Amino acid sequence: MLEALVTAASKMQPALQLCGIGKTFVLKSGSVLNRRRTEVRAVRDMNLVLERNSIMGLVGESGSGKTTTGMMALRLIEPTSGQIRLEGEDITEYGHQEMKEARRRMQVVFQDSYSALSPMLTLRQIVAEPLLIHGAGGATERDALALEWLERVGLHRSFGSRYPHELSGGQRQRVAIARALILEPAVLIADEPTSALDVSVKAQIINLIQDLQNEMELSVLFISHDLSVVRSLTDRVAVMFNGRVVEEADTETIFSQARHHYTRSLLDAIPVMDPRARPRRHFMSREELEAKVVTLRASEMDGPARPSGERRLVKISKSHKVEARVAA
Amino acid sequence: MLGYALRRLVSVSVTFFVVSIIIFLMMHSIPGGPFDAGEMPLTQEVRQRMMAQYGLDQPLYVQYLNYMWGAIRLDFGVPFQSPGETVAGLIGRAWIPSLVLGGLGVLVGTPLGMLLGMAAALRRNTWIDYLASAVATLGLTVPVFVTSMLLILLFSVWLNWLPSSGWGEPKRWILPIIAYATIPLATYARYTRAAMLDTLSKPFVTVLRAKGLSERRIVFQHVLRNSAIPLVTVFFPMFLGTATGSIFVEAIFRVPGLGSFFVSSIETRDYPLEMALMLILAILFALAYLLSDILYAWLNPRIRFGGGSE
Amino acid sequence: MSGPGPAAAPGTPSVQSGPAGRAHGPLWHAWRRLAANRAALAGGGAVAAIAVLAIIAPLIFPTGPTDQAYLQEALAFPSREHPFGIDDLGRDFLTRTVYGARVSLSIGFIAAAFSVIIGIPLGAAAGYYGGATDWFIMRLIEIFSVLPPLLAALLLGAVVGGGFWMIVFIAALFGWVQVCLLVRAQVKAFKSKEFVRAAVALGASPTYVVFRHLIPNSVSPIIVGFVLAIPLAMMLEASLSFLGVGVPPPTPSWGQMISVGLNFMYFYWHLAVFPTIALAATVLATSLFGDGLRDALDPTIEGRRA
Repeated sequence: MLEALVTAASKMQPALQLCGIGKTFVLKSGSVLNRRRTEVRAVRDMNLVLERNSIMGLVGESGSGKTTTGMMALRLIEPTSGQIRLEGEDITEYGHQEMKEARRRMQVVFQDSYSALSPMLTLRQIVAEPLLIHGAGGATERDALALEWLERVGLHRSFGSRYPHELSGGQRQRVAIARALILEPAVLIADEPTSALDVSVKAQIINLIQDLQNEMELSVLFISHDLSVVRSLTDRVAVMFNGRVVEEADTETIFSQARHHYTRSLLDAIPVMDPRARPRRHFMSREELEAKVVTLRASEMDGPARPSGERRLVKISKSHKVEARVAA
Repeated sequence: MLGYALRRLVSVSVTFFVVSIIIFLMMHSIPGGPFDAGEMPLTQEVRQRMMAQYGLDQPLYVQYLNYMWGAIRLDFGVPFQSPGETVAGLIGRAWIPSLVLGGLGVLVGTPLGMLLGMAAALRRNTWIDYLASAVATLGLTVPVFVTSMLLILLFSVWLNWLPSSGWGEPKRWILPIIAYATIPLATYARYTRAAMLDTLSKPFVTVLRAKGLSERRIVFQHVLRNSAIPLVTVFFPMFLGTATGSIFVEAIFRVPGLGSFFVSSIETRDYPLEMALMLILAILFALAYLLSDILYAWLNPRIRFGGGSE
Repeated sequence: MSGPGPAAAPGTPSVQSGPAGRAHGPLWHAWRRLAANRAALAGGGAVAAIAVLAIIAPLIFPTGPTDQAYLQEALAFPSREHPFGIDDLGRDFLTRTVYGARVSLSIGFIAAAFSVIIGIPLGAAAGYYGGATDWFIMRLIEIFSVLPPLLAALLLGAVVGGGFWMIVFIAALFGWVQVCLLVRAQVKAFKSKEFVRAAVALGASPTYVVFRHLIPNSVSPIIVGFVLAIPLAMMLEASLSFLGVGVPPPTPSWGQMISVGLNFMYFYWHLAVFPTIALAATVLATSLFGDGLRDALDPTIEGRRA
């Protein structure tokens, strides 16, 4: 798998690759005398490729490890295993200075726009912050660029001297996007940027991200639990369940030919307006879903595959992977 | 819960140990020992014999260990100012007025303060609310000795109603008790008001009102018990404030209690008495600190609190 | 400058039009809330008036605070020429009372400043680094909580013999705890906020994060800690001076004047009354101002009349 990735990327490296990364959190509880150590494997052995100039959706329920994955890609959470490659460059072991350089090329927008902007700074200061940290340009130049970017995300220049508490959630999220993109990064990690917004505002922000992605040829990792948003925005989708990817395919394939039970149950949960068109839903608990393993015959695979009782992520077509057990 | 309590106990014990060393060292660096030349005209020989008798010629850590070993057995030595009795005996005699007056002050002040705070919270922005705020702010900011002075000026000097000093017949107790009572009064007026207002703004109170419960039942059955936690935890800071205040109350009203001995022991550089009083107070403070921590942890998860009946 | 920059903003029109009126920061809103609080304004005004009076004292009084100019009239009651009377050593008592404000206010402000200077770095370190640093600083605070402040101050005062700077030192020694706890709580709360994580994701160093984000966002607790430390230091000074280990005579200090007044109280009431009222009024005014500031700076806490 790993070798295959490296050779495939010989000509042009993908924007972001996560190679077998995992995160285990250690929780300590109990008293001094009988201290318990509980290990929680939030993400295990995960592989993900974000192609250049594309939007990839990372979906799954809360607790599935999708945010942890995004934070690990940014090294805001240090992975316990695996590699992070940014434009082909292994940044996993980078020290502060090297990492600082790498961070110019990879930025983030968070879910909670209320706590994403410092209440003590004006919007122009907030948007100019990346330039300040990276020592780019003089003060007037930074300020001018910040105002330009405010306009670019659809806010009038006069917002520059406002403070975050005077804005609506959607406006704040625009500011956060401007801050993330002012350094013109190659990769943007968007961690549920629309899930705290009203429906109408949500659409505006989605459009903004789409427009900017087009203009700047950005590679976006879009983390979300909202499948309707993911469907309208992304090119590819990876589905996470209990800390691992269980299915990955082009967006349309996921929505029309999902194979994994968990993906199907997620699709079933999308609200449908017409009650007669509503499918019969059968909700399953995590345990039930975990027990249901897809079994495939070797003939169903794309390329040669050895049969095994272990379930693993296997390729069933050129661009469709699903977690399954391979029967002989 | 037990684990937490034990952990706090260990931590506070270590703190107390450090504090006892600090106190001991401070004590020994007070300039001018009790037998310095000039203070008392003693010959060199007599001085050395006296130093040896009180163990003042040994290295510091030996003196410290000796002292702490004695302290555990309640042997604090002999006070310099009255060699006829022991420090333990003197303290045993002096704590009674402190406890009686201070205790009565707390007993009077606490319920009055709570009533005032409750009235203020229930009658918000009326004269009683402003009165409670004024009393709370005055009581918590104006030093006790200023309150005591004003009390004496008013009731003894100008009105001539009450005696300004002493311990003895109960009439003499009134002013010191009022002076003591200002501290719990102010503390509880402020915190009861805050806690009640906080509870009254909770959604469950709105639900109770929507259910049509009478205001009286809401206040007495629900709001009061839910406001109790902050009031329990504030007891200890209040207690500490009262204990410190006793120095001034007793100095001004000339009550022969622990506080006035504390002052006189500093003035006369009476090491043994001074050290014993500081240690006792530090232990008291450490215990209060520990208890308030444990109580807070015990009450806060709301597992036991009101769980059975509601 | 890296890259070409977003040259001309293409496509996206300005969908959000400019807001009307001036922009106002969080501190401006706090100021508005403070201005609406009459008790706090009165307190602040009173403190300012007392401070001005203390500063211009040499211009309004013919004699200095230690001049025994009226020995013939020692212990005289208040009169037209001497509104507060004459003290036992023949000094004009109004002069001394006003000069007493100098000692009280300067000790209050200087000690509070030192409390903040000690408290900010320790609180920021404890809140930001957590772990062993936090544990150590919290144990230090515990020691100061178990040590009765006034009694320890009394002892320290006795050890080093009082004096202006010694009182400042003692007050700061016990005053920093409050500031430290306030800053620690604030830094802890803001450390995990997403704008801090965003700065880290931009490659900001811990120093940058602390100075650009965490300390500016702790400005409210720092101001509150500073103002509330003032009356505490003033009370400590008065208490120590009252017990004779504070500012040494003849420098006028209210605590010391009250202590003298106590001896003359039955016959010459003015010696006790004026410094008592001056001290009570100053401490009260400062506290009212501090409480108002706290309410204004933290609109979420109780006590704000919404």
